[in-house]
Amino acid sequence: MSILALSFTLLFVMITMLVSVWQKLGLERDIAVGTVRSAVQLLLVGYVLQFIFNTSNPILIALILVLMITIASFNAGKRGAGLKGIVWKIAIAITSTELMMMGLLLGFRIIEATPQYIIPISGMTIGNAMVVSGLFLNQMRREVSASRGEIETLLSLGATARQAIQEVMKRSVKSSMIPTIDGMKTVGLVQLPGMMTGMIVAGANPIEAVRYQILIVFAFTSSAAITSIILSLISYRLWFTKDLRIRLIEEKG
Amino acid sequence: MKPVFHMQQLRKKHEGKENQALFANVTAEIADPTVIALLGVSGQGKSTLLRILASLEHADEGDIGLHNISQREMDPRLWRMKVCYVAQQSVMLTGSIEHNLKTVSLLHRIPYEDKLVNHLLPRLGLDHLDLSKSALELSGGEKQRISLLRALLLHPEVLLLDEITASLDRSSKQMVEQVLQEWHQQEGTTMIWVTHDIEQAKQISQTVWFMGEGTLLENCSTEAFFEQPATELARNYVQAPSVSYKEDPCPF
Ligand SMILES: Nc1ncnc2c1ncn2[C@@H]1O[C@H](COP(=O)(O)OP(=O)(O)OP(=O)(O)O)[C@@H](O)[C@H]1O
Ligand SMILES: [Mg+2]
Repeated sequence: MSILALSFTLLFVMITMLVSVWQKLGLERDIAVGTVRSAVQLLLVGYVLQFIFNTSNPILIALILVLMITIASFNAGKRGAGLKGIVWKIAIAITSTELMMMGLLLGFRIIEATPQYIIPISGMTIGNAMVVSGLFLNQMRREVSASRGEIETLLSLGATARQAIQEVMKRSVKSSMIPTIDGMKTVGLVQLPGMMTGMIVAGANPIEAVRYQILIVFAFTSSAAITSIILSLISYRLWFTKDLRIRLIEEKG
Repeated sequence: MKPVFHMQQLRKKHEGKENQALFANVTAEIADPTVIALLGVSGQGKSTLLRILASLEHADEGDIGLHNISQREMDPRLWRMKVCYVAQQSVMLTGSIEHNLKTVSLLHRIPYEDKLVNHLLPRLGLDHLDLSKSALELSGGEKQRISLLRALLLHPEVLLLDEITASLDRSSKQMVEQVLQEWHQQEGTTMIWVTHDIEQAKQISQTVWFMGEGTLLENCSTEAFFEQPATELARNYVQAPSVSYKEDPCPF
């Protein structure tokens, strides 16, 4: 796509702006900020990727992955505001998931060990793990306050933290995985996934694109499960005080 | 002799009103296993006190002890196994009635006392229940009795009973009283029993704790309390709720 063709896409922004002004949505500022940010961020990423693909330096790849995980952890950590050290725990959960995914993908030679494969697929895995972590924490917050009676009943019968929160944890893990699993059922029918669309537009054979998409869908499901379970196991104690009472975390914002 | 249980200078801030105490200076000692009726008008903090005693809630000041061992020095789990709270609003765990009754056995990996359960179910008026049914479908009164039985299976040293007969009919209520009285005699369990039922308090307790004016206002034998309450507040409390009360409750 030429630069000229790209600049014509600003027409879409104009349309959104006009709608906002016309309908008095008051979104003009947000649209402007969003437009500039997405353009700058994506262009920057494009150049960085180009550089990395050219040098193919493993340290650089690792650095990019660490950066992705850090941003993802802070982002998902917002859903766990008030839980001490939650960003670290999310980082641990996402890193474990990423290592396991890459271990399997590279170990079985499903993908080649080049930045062209590792970085986009990691990006998607980490992004999905971030969404799942956020969903899990949100659900935990809701479940813990809704199931307070149940947790306290178990505590009053001498349960450990783990025993008292087990069912709540299970329900939260399950509900954090549902969007991923639902997505698996309708993928390709309702909308063509972004990666596949991109590959096809860029000239890849649709069958080839579909193969990679299947890989991504399967990887997402297991990475959702792994992230959510690891996060639940390393974070459940945060919902209790030191003397084993429930700690209700207020929702912020 | 070490007292079975003691609480010293307990103080709890009022929820929301930060500088106002819900109660303060709550001090009492239980020398020997006994049944105590905890009385007081609604909103005095009886439930909150029991929850603090069960270590489900945190006291802002003061100390609680079992056989002179402070609550703070004990693992909260061990504490709760010895000092067990039966809630005012009984909560059934998801699953069958049997699952609920087996909770203690599952949590602590101890044998399930089916003999004891089969002995107590009819005595609590629950022999008609199909134990494989979901516990969430039970009536309020059935839930209360199942949650009581669930706690009894823990064999705690101190049972904290929060209006556990509030939604029971007269005869079921008497059955529960009977079962608990026998339990107290056989197991030597100390019970602190919150009730609004004066007849019940007279029937089951040896001691009365009366909460009022933000503290434990009276602590005396049940007989003395009902014959001669020391404070005006207690006098009103004893007279007010039962209009049909025959004897002269207050000689002053
Ligand atoms: N954790 C808490 N900390 C401080 N105050 C609380 C707490 N929980 C409840 N309260 C307040 O304490 C008051 C007394 O509540 P509590 O349930 O202990 O009363 P109660 O004596 O058991 O009343 P009732 O006889 O109606 O059951 C209420 O106004 C409530 O808002
Ligand atoms: Mg109460």
